[in-house]
Amino acid sequence: MDEQLSGRDNLRLIAGLLGARRQEAAARADELLEAFELSGAAGRPASTYSGGMRRRLDLAASLVGSPEVIFLDEPTTGLDPQARLAVWDTIAELTSEGTTVLLTTQYLDEADRLADSITVLAAGRVVASGTAAELKARVGRRTVTTSFTKDRDPAAAVTTAAAAIAATGLEPVTDPGRGSVVTPVTDAHDVTTVILAIDRAGLEATELRIAEPTLDDVYLSLAGPGAGHAAYPAAAARTAA
Amino acid sequence: MTMTDTQRTTVVTPAGPVASRNWRGSSLAARIRLLTARSLRTLVTDPRSVMLALLQPVILLVLFSQVFKSLAGTSSFPAGVSYIDYLVPAILVNTAMQSALVSGVGLTTDLTNGVVARFRAMPIWMGSVLTARSVTDLIRGLVQLGVIIVLAVAVFRFSPAGGVPGVLGALVLAMAVSWGLGWVFLAAATWLRNAELMQSIGFLVMFPLMFASSAFVPIAGLPGWLQAVAHVNPLTHAIDAARDLTLGHAAGNTPLVTAGLTVTLAAAGFTAALPGIRRP
Repeated sequence: MDEQLSGRDNLRLIAGLLGARRQEAAARADELLEAFELSGAAGRPASTYSGGMRRRLDLAASLVGSPEVIFLDEPTTGLDPQARLAVWDTIAELTSEGTTVLLTTQYLDEADRLADSITVLAAGRVVASGTAAELKARVGRRTVTTSFTKDRDPAAAVTTAAAAIAATGLEPVTDPGRGSVVTPVTDAHDVTTVILAIDRAGLEATELRIAEPTLDDVYLSLAGPGAGHAAYPAAAARTAA
Repeated sequence: MTMTDTQRTTVVTPAGPVASRNWRGSSLAARIRLLTARSLRTLVTDPRSVMLALLQPVILLVLFSQVFKSLAGTSSFPAGVSYIDYLVPAILVNTAMQSALVSGVGLTTDLTNGVVARFRAMPIWMGSVLTARSVTDLIRGLVQLGVIIVLAVAVFRFSPAGGVPGVLGALVLAMAVSWGLGWVFLAAATWLRNAELMQSIGFLVMFPLMFASSAFVPIAGLPGWLQAVAHVNPLTHAIDAARDLTLGHAAGNTPLVTAGLTVTLAAAGFTAALPGIRRP
């Protein structure tokens, strides 16, 4: 955005460059400003806008020419929850109108909520693609999360627990940052196996959670505990189970 | 901040491909006009940049006209010429060069704040973005040079033998230098994309060039080695040309040489800037 121009002038400029006549450009700018709730700030220089307002102005600017395909690169990064919801609503609305939106995000819950088709990248490679449901199905129905945050040495406890669980044939994924081990399970028997394995290893879990899979779990299991995992912060930022 | 359903309807219906707009894209001239108006508006809304850019030539004008006043009448100085008449053409060319640098720095801002990135994603030729920048800076340069000339006449009794036609000639020449060099700095901006670096390099290049030339003292008054530098310094040609026009001397082929030089610079700058600005 041109920081020194007002939001209105930014949008009018883009409309003009796309070939709109002066009046058409003005009408289109006002229409979008209204829709993105920027009418009140329309005359102010863009440099005075908050992060959320800038993002909305940016999105509005992308829509001036009514494109059929829109690429959005992390459209909600750094936005407050309310602004994020507003952007999500706009995107959902666009896709329901038939516009194709291709967006990148670090937030897997965002992908889960908005996307018809998801491609997961880890360390620069495609590790999976499909609908949210398909991806979730690939990692089993549930996960058991065991935390060792109150252990004397949480890092060591995580390693020991993961080894003990892995020895039973299950495939645990460590999340050292949270001091926890996430194990995909298929049935109640697997849950017991996890608990017994931890008990036999002489550990006591601070917390035990059984959760339906989120895309974060999909990512963790696809990217694995090694490659790419650390480079992708979203993978560690788990959503509430 | 919550979007209500009625408001949403007004966004999306026009945004959807169903209501696809029949805008066919703007003509090249319209685009350049729009983009130039946009940059010029920035100058009006934030006139500090114009003021600041004027400060340096005014300081040069004040200081040098006083410090070197006594040069007039010395043996190496052209006879019957006052120092202010000698100085102003050099200040004009110097200001034109500064203006060219500012042109590049302005583009750096657009390159870093996402404006150019958006233009790149639109169906417009990037050459029009560069041209609009160049036109804007010519207009700004013209205002600055005009202010300096008025100031020189009103305050410093600048009244050269070349009269109005001579001064206008020098003005056109300075604008040509600003235009040619401006394209070089635009090219530099598209590849460096760093305002501080641009400014440092610009200063490093222009400051010595300015002094190792005929700008402030006649070349004959310089030490031998500096004379050699001054003779090959392209700036000497530009300043000599502007000065000859101002003082009403036969300018010979210096204006032609300067014109040739600026056209070459502009062509080279444009050739380098176009792929530069397209680079994401």
